[in-house]
Amino acid sequence: MKKFIWYFTLIILALFMLVPMLWTITTALSHDTSTVKIQLLPNNPGLENFINAWNYPSQIEKGITMGRFFFNSLVTCFFITVLSILTDSMAGYILARKKFRYRESIFFLSIATMMIPFYVTSIPMFLIVREFGWINKFYGLIVPFIGSGFGVYMFRQAFLAIPIQIEEAAKLDGLSDLGIYLRVMLPLIRPTIATMIIFKAMWSWNIFYWPLLVTNSMDMYTLPLGLTLFKGLNVTRWGLLTAGLTIAVVPIIALFLIMQRQFISGLTAGAVKE
Amino acid sequence: MRKIKDSLKIAGFLLPSYSIFFVFIFFPLIYSFYLSFFHYSLLSYNAPRFTGLQNYITLLKDPIFWVSLKNTMTYTIGTVIPTMGIGLFMAIILNSKLKLKNFFRTAYFIPVVTSLVAASIIWSLILDSTDAGLVNSFLVQLGIPPQAWLSSSRWALFSVIIVNIWKNIGYVMIIYIAGLQSIPEQLYEAITIDGAGEWEKFYYITLPLLKPTTSFVFTTSLIGSFQVFTPVYIMTGGGPGYSSNTIVNYLYQQGFQNFRMGYASTIAYALFTILFVMTILQKKYLKAEEVLY
Repeated sequence: MKKFIWYFTLIILALFMLVPMLWTITTALSHDTSTVKIQLLPNNPGLENFINAWNYPSQIEKGITMGRFFFNSLVTCFFITVLSILTDSMAGYILARKKFRYRESIFFLSIATMMIPFYVTSIPMFLIVREFGWINKFYGLIVPFIGSGFGVYMFRQAFLAIPIQIEEAAKLDGLSDLGIYLRVMLPLIRPTIATMIIFKAMWSWNIFYWPLLVTNSMDMYTLPLGLTLFKGLNVTRWGLLTAGLTIAVVPIIALFLIMQRQFISGLTAGAVKE
Repeated sequence: MRKIKDSLKIAGFLLPSYSIFFVFIFFPLIYSFYLSFFHYSLLSYNAPRFTGLQNYITLLKDPIFWVSLKNTMTYTIGTVIPTMGIGLFMAIILNSKLKLKNFFRTAYFIPVVTSLVAASIIWSLILDSTDAGLVNSFLVQLGIPPQAWLSSSRWALFSVIIVNIWKNIGYVMIIYIAGLQSIPEQLYEAITIDGAGEWEKFYYITLPLLKPTTSFVFTTSLIGSFQVFTPVYIMTGGGPGYSSNTIVNYLYQQGFQNFRMGYASTIAYALFTILFVMTILQKKYLKAEEVLY
């Protein structure tokens, strides 16, 4: 009896969680979408909605497809992820291993950045980026985020967990500090790097508020901003709308299904001890 | 000489990330405070004009600010409590030896990896206020009149809340599962020998030992929900009227639609103060107790 109630609850909740996505996908695959239906399988399945959705932005501005938004998001996501992991791990390494004056205060500063909400600083950030001439530039989308207190904290923790003897042995072999960091330490914290890649990539892939502030020409829109074009669409064009959403969402869900462990540890980073 | 070389090396490792912190976090934090005492419109060519406490006085008398604050609080309570309750319940069920538990865990986590913008648009379609929306067409079949989910002040905030509960249950559930797995099995065995039932196990062991997890989830969700922006911006735009407007949306409207940089900075500082007080209170009252096994 208890089992039955449990399964019943689980299924009800699973429906609540999955139906929105499934409905979006089946509607996108359907041929006749002038009226909305609750259906499990698409009627008259075809891909023309996807082709229309992909090209829909060009109706607003010539020559722009969803491909452009994907490209912008990929570039932004790639550089934020790679550069911030590099800078954060460098700082984290020094803070974990070297003794120097004011070390604790300097580390505290990176903890303090986590207490400062992004929205509170967004106005001056915007003014600074505008001053630099970075509106509608990749610089504006990327540079403010190529370092994070959270990253410094996570990498420092990871380096602290590595026995000091390993480093001393490397030193005896005549490696420089940079060499130790790059060739000995970084390979040892691979799990943390993997976690941080997912964390940073997901964060920068989905960020919406900042691109909304610093881009206003369509050829610089990232995917989340591009999706808002579909929002104003007449709701009777369900097929087009749902196809646009499917194109944006399904690749990430597919990646998640392939790499579930990494995604979960990346998205719960800082909350759950490894 | 060696010492200087060492210091330079240390600075070289720290500078890349710390220069970002100074330029894009610490300096803006101070500059924002400075701006909050100025009248500064991006629409005119006039230089910022010092107005003393005028922005703060305007803010305290601004009914839209108070409505937005009230909505933000309603929203926060409305998302945090159900999300944590359902998340914990699901974690307990899915931490047992059920078949298919991995399937359900995955299913509940899918909304977490869905982008918030896409999720908000999908839910706007589902909750579309005409008869055509998925929920409304379902209601009509049941003989219930369709509701204006997004365009009535009665339902707008509620609809935004639903999306966030949907999006966050999976995250809370995973963190609770991790918390549950850190509770030693022997404790349950011991209390079972003493004749305790399911409810006693939950009340005397699970709940107290999950306190650090609960405290963490509660604080982070509280601070996160207080800064809601995207779903409101996409689903209702804060409307109808200001009935679903929240603080960050108001900040955005003043800063980037009206281009009143000074006043928007004042709103930002009001938000900062509230979040800061919440963090301090949490540190004081919800300090995670050491758990001894």
